Amino acid sequence: MSNHPEIERFVRGEPIAVEVGEIERALGSLWQEASRAGEAAAISRAALWNVIVPTCGPAALAASKKLVDELAPALPTRTLTLCLDDGRRGAGLEATIESHVVSQPGGARMVYSEEITIAGPSGAQGHFGALVRALQVAGVPTATFWLDPGAPESLLTRELLAVTNRLVLDTTTCLHPRQLFDLDRLAAAAQPLPIADLGWLRLGALRALFAGMFDPPVGGAPLVQARRVAVEHRAGCDASALLMLAWIGVQLGWRPVRAAQTSDGGVRFDFTRAGQPIAGHLVPAEGACGRSGILAVEVTTASDDRYAIRRTAIDQTQLQTPGVPPKLVKLDSPSDAELAIAALGARGRDPLFRRCLAYARQLWSLEPDTAGSRR
Amino acid sequence: MLDTPGGPPASSSPSVLPNPLREGLAEERVPEPAVMVIFGASGDLARRKLLPALYSLTRDRLLPARFAIVGFARRAVSDDAFREEMRAACNEFARRRPIDPELWAAFSRNIFYQPGEYEDLASFLSLKQRLGDIERDLGLHGNRVFYLATPPSSFAPVIRNLGQAELAPKPPPATAPKPPGPPPPFARVIIEKPFGTDLETARALNRDVHETLDERQIYRIDHYLGKETVQNLLVFRFANGIFEPIWNNRFVDHVQITGAESIGVEARGGYFEQAGSMRDMVQNHLLQVLSLFAMEPPIAFDPDAVRDEKLKVLKALRAIPESDFERQVVRAQYAAGSSAGQAVPGYRQEPNVSPSSTTETFVALKLFIDSWRWAGVPFYLRSGKRLPKRVTEIAVHFKEAPHLLFGRRGESIRPNVLAIRIQPDEGIALNFGSKLPGPAMEIAPVSMEFRYGSSFGVEPPEAYERLLLDCLLGDSTLFTRADEVEASWTWVSRIHRRWAEDAAAGRVDLATYPAGSWGPPAADRLLTADGRAWRLP
Repeated sequence: MSNHPEIERFVRGEPIAVEVGEIERALGSLWQEASRAGEAAAISRAALWNVIVPTCGPAALAASKKLVDELAPALPTRTLTLCLDDGRRGAGLEATIESHVVSQPGGARMVYSEEITIAGPSGAQGHFGALVRALQVAGVPTATFWLDPGAPESLLTRELLAVTNRLVLDTTTCLHPRQLFDLDRLAAAAQPLPIADLGWLRLGALRALFAGMFDPPVGGAPLVQARRVAVEHRAGCDASALLMLAWIGVQLGWRPVRAAQTSDGGVRFDFTRAGQPIAGHLVPAEGACGRSGILAVEVTTASDDRYAIRRTAIDQTQLQTPGVPPKLVKLDSPSDAELAIAALGARGRDPLFRRCLAYARQLWSLEPDTAGSRR
Repeated sequence: MLDTPGGPPASSSPSVLPNPLREGLAEERVPEPAVMVIFGASGDLARRKLLPALYSLTRDRLLPARFAIVGFARRAVSDDAFREEMRAACNEFARRRPIDPELWAAFSRNIFYQPGEYEDLASFLSLKQRLGDIERDLGLHGNRVFYLATPPSSFAPVIRNLGQAELAPKPPPATAPKPPGPPPPFARVIIEKPFGTDLETARALNRDVHETLDERQIYRIDHYLGKETVQNLLVFRFANGIFEPIWNNRFVDHVQITGAESIGVEARGGYFEQAGSMRDMVQNHLLQVLSLFAMEPPIAFDPDAVRDEKLKVLKALRAIPESDFERQVVRAQYAAGSSAGQAVPGYRQEPNVSPSSTTETFVALKLFIDSWRWAGVPFYLRSGKRLPKRVTEIAVHFKEAPHLLFGRRGESIRPNVLAIRIQPDEGIALNFGSKLPGPAMEIAPVSMEFRYGSSFGVEPPEAYERLLLDCLLGDSTLFTRADEVEASWTWVSRIHRRWAEDAAAGRVDLATYPAGSWGPPAADRLLTADGRAWRLP
């Protein structure tokens, strides 16, 4: 492992094929050589997290690698990407290692990340657990990014959860609310691990803006008097919209009663609180929005006052409050890498997500019609 | 849930229910709607720090949706002209640049300007009228923060006029029973440094301020306390089990605190002539950092519990004995030299500086804290202008291992040093010895580093952002209390008195150092006399 072209490729971040049983030794050797070749410029290996990313197929692998590449400059991790792919040429496991070196001002180099990719055909997942345990950096926590719905659930439940300190999901990948059931089941199996959801974090800015409308001097009174809540969403983003509605329902203590489809292709949920009925609508619509797919959230009170946030552009939202001219505010659309960093921080331990996910599942289970026909 | 407690703090607005949707949000700590009045709005501080910080807070959605800024200064300009100036300032100094035009449009709609004189009550009555109009138009309920970014000579008149114009009424006594209904609107006053120029003036200013305001309304700002690493000192010490047991005279040999600036006095020669490094840096920034470093664990993380412990440290600073003064205090002035590859003039050649000035631009001190924890541990402080680089750090030098098992191998075995970097590159590094690979028992120093930027992937917020937000939230933990200010002046004023006595007797012991160096040889002797040396930060 001491020839220079290979070290140069490694330091440039290109994948280097290695024997599966020699990954750790090969990494150590390459870093040592790279450090010598770097002369005065020091290279430090660093990891604050082990990140495991199970994937299935080349498309999911490519998406995972893109995320890891974006994450690397901001957060030092050792990433283990596990890929099941029957389309590969070899019948056995194959491994590559990559570095993510970032130059510091003044010429010093600092490695923020190293990435190990292990790929194999269906059935190879039987080896993945042992490999992960062997390759985890000691003394730092492990996050499993369960982002590919195609990856076999048994890999997570049998092998990875036992070595995981934080489970990261992405409800935005659910093309149908029914898929939230699977994630809720996984979340239950993962108890008591902290669970982060990129979809939930993606909704964070909208939730904060919406909540901000009920800060003083307005206060929570309009929420007590709410009679109708509508969440407008792009087609295929029903799961995000349901999660948004669930958040409002959980926070306001609404008891779900029934659900039914509406003529516009949406869904109506009936709630009750303190004897008062409240209607919650998921309304499919068209318009510019970020990956969350949410276009607008609107509350109408018993006195017909309306409080709404409505996207007017990808990065812009209009706030509508009674008696005040509409106000345009900037709405950030964080990248997946930014969300992934947040998921590994304090915001990735939000217990409210579990409550809202369970509530969303409860809502979608209300009405057989709803659950069945839109499946 | 709507009926459960635990939402944001009770509102001062009439009949406002808590907002249940705030629970669990990252932006859970959002202040109540308010107006911030900035006195000295045409000055550098407002332009470089305050408006950019408020813009950044808005961008991060940390300010309430209903929030207004009123600039107040002598110059007569229109709202629009003031907005345009502040736009340029934010474009130049905001943490995230360039500014977002749409966000700025929304933000700047609530920026206003009111011309007036600081000593003129009529100007404050006009301000009161203007605030009433703004609050009515924006649906605000009278919460106000007044930021005194004026020259210190204006602090007392501004506060007096705030009182006479009834712009900042005192809250009910803390011990008074709370009347039913929402609390009255708040009025808080942020006072910039310097708070006094010596013990007498600080006491007089405190007396003046307390005639109008309750101590709970006063936020004496020291922007060092808003820096992430300074706050991290508390977390580092009190959230990690391994450091506090060694944070004492059994394990610590000595502590060095360096506050170095690479710049000279620039255009502030007039101010600096009166202040010097002792007033400009040591009395506030360095002693505040020292008190946080050395304090006992507070009983709670609340403003008074933390400040009570800091105060004990300041009160425990041993007065420097007359007989040891020269061995414990070094002052110096920079001479011509080099900075960033450019030839730079000496202090006495700077604009607005007397050619025979005896003002110190560098000070190095050896001090002791008379407490059980720190008995016998010297603290070496130094601060200066035109030093080789801008850096502020605390370096904790631990005692050597009691028995050197491996013998001395040249200079290779060094005591452990824990370096807490406050600026720039906020972080913490621990130096320790490690065996060099190979058959020989050679030991080399290595460093284990934590840096905020690379570990958390986010840039820490500007100190002013944190402190302005804390004031709006009513959290005074990171602000200095009246008794802290007086305790630090008590210690510093003794040194100033001695210098004044020396000057009166014609004995001015003022060394010089070339710009771009780490200070005069006398500063090195302060440590070499004890068998120690300054760490190169």
